[in-house]
Amino acid sequence: MDNSAKGFVQSIIPIDKPDLFIYFKPLYLKTKKFLSPVMCLVIWELIVKMGIINPFFCPAPTSIAKELYGLVFTNELWINLYDSLFRAVCGYFLAALFGVGVGLIVVWSKFMEDLIDPLIELVRPVSTFAVIPIFFIWFGIGDVSKVLIIAKACFFPIVLNTIAGIKGVDPKLIQAARSLGAKGFALWTKVLIPSALPMISTGLRVATSMSVTTLVGVEMLSADSGIGFMVIDAQRVFATEKMFAGILVLSALGFSFDRLARLMQNRVLSWHKGI
Amino acid sequence: MTSFLEASKVSKTYQDNKNQDIPALLNFTLSVKEQEFITIIGPSGCGKSSFLFLAAGLEPLTGGVLKFNGRSVTGPDPLSAMVFQEYLLFPWKTVQENIEFGPELRHVPKQERRKTAIKFINMVGLGGFEDAFPNELSGGMQQRVSIARALANSPKLILMDEPFGALDALTRETLQIELLKIWQQAKCTVLFVTHSISEAVYLADRVVVVSKRPGTVKEIVPIELARPRDREMFTSPMFIEYERYLKNLILEEI
Repeated sequence: MDNSAKGFVQSIIPIDKPDLFIYFKPLYLKTKKFLSPVMCLVIWELIVKMGIINPFFCPAPTSIAKELYGLVFTNELWINLYDSLFRAVCGYFLAALFGVGVGLIVVWSKFMEDLIDPLIELVRPVSTFAVIPIFFIWFGIGDVSKVLIIAKACFFPIVLNTIAGIKGVDPKLIQAARSLGAKGFALWTKVLIPSALPMISTGLRVATSMSVTTLVGVEMLSADSGIGFMVIDAQRVFATEKMFAGILVLSALGFSFDRLARLMQNRVLSWHKGI
Repeated sequence: MTSFLEASKVSKTYQDNKNQDIPALLNFTLSVKEQEFITIIGPSGCGKSSFLFLAAGLEPLTGGVLKFNGRSVTGPDPLSAMVFQEYLLFPWKTVQENIEFGPELRHVPKQERRKTAIKFINMVGLGGFEDAFPNELSGGMQQRVSIARALANSPKLILMDEPFGALDALTRETLQIELLKIWQQAKCTVLFVTHSISEAVYLADRVVVVSKRPGTVKEIVPIELARPRDREMFTSPMFIEYERYLKNLILEEI
């Protein structure tokens, strides 16, 4: 009784307890973000290696890594990656061009808003995957329809953010600019668009992940190249290791697209950080 | 001397979202001479700020005649500049770029507008902050930038809408003194809307008292305190008498 009470007091006042943790702290701070993913991988590896799961359904991380390493030295991976990138980038930039353009036209005049806004509101909720058959019929099953489908998916976040961005500019800031002599075109290029840039670039960033998501979808539905095709093709022939390796490549693609967009956003909006 | 800004029977009516008419100003008549410092006070919502927006050409009037520099006001005039309570700087521009905004729009060559900007940065006491962004500055400093930005257009008329309303008392006093200095250096006319009676008396040649809505000029009180003015005047009997008199005028309107 006496001893246990003493132990309790000692545990809440750890004065003379040697703090071993302090030696590991720098290492911990550097690696804490990787801790849980690495733990998951280790557990996964152990489960497969112990034979709890059939590696045919779920290959061990090491064998996926080995497969991926093998793929790096084949043309297959690079040709497919090139095709995928080409589609995603074309679709994305097409959407960026039209999204910002249409957004600006809509906010330019009340008449254009009345004309275009209902169309945007009607088409926007339609799932991208629902209109894929239409695109295939109209533009064939080649790259044109794939690029257009990706563009359709990326278009809406960009156009909506552009509209919201310009509409959200403080009316008093516009008056301040006008009192300093800004009008017409200069008011747009020097005040409205720069003010809306944070919103517009958020739309552009959201769209990057849309482009990869949609890319995978269209490539799995109908394609004879691309990483999405590689994955679905591997599944069809039960090459599960290759399938997992392909999925890893797609994840990396999505991740790096987002990072790239974030980098661009920070570069453009360095002034905006403190707000 | 002919009047520089001439408002005769100016009216302004706004529409609210139910399309009902809200009269803000009615038969507002005021004549301002060149290089005069006019302060406008009145109860909240009396339309004193509306008058500034009309004079700046930012909003159309709905009745009467408003002439600036001999011409009817139809839109923003390069010879007039407005300073707002909320500073309204461009957050993506540095202090220097903010101040260069007006000259840039008038296609003043880069070298020249840089020189102008630096001149006004020094005038408002912001030397060393040329490359700072607005969000890195305190409220008082931001308002200095805003004043410098207005001055960079070399305006003949500066319209100030409660410019020091959001600042703490000490910053406010400092900026009042500096504004008077700047006004004397820049030789411009100032129309200054404020809620503070002592500020109105301290700065003005004439104080315009506006009635409650719809706003009309209730009385114009010439302030006969000597210039240059100093802080000592705040406690002088004459100053206190002006304050008391103006306060009574406004209280009649509430």
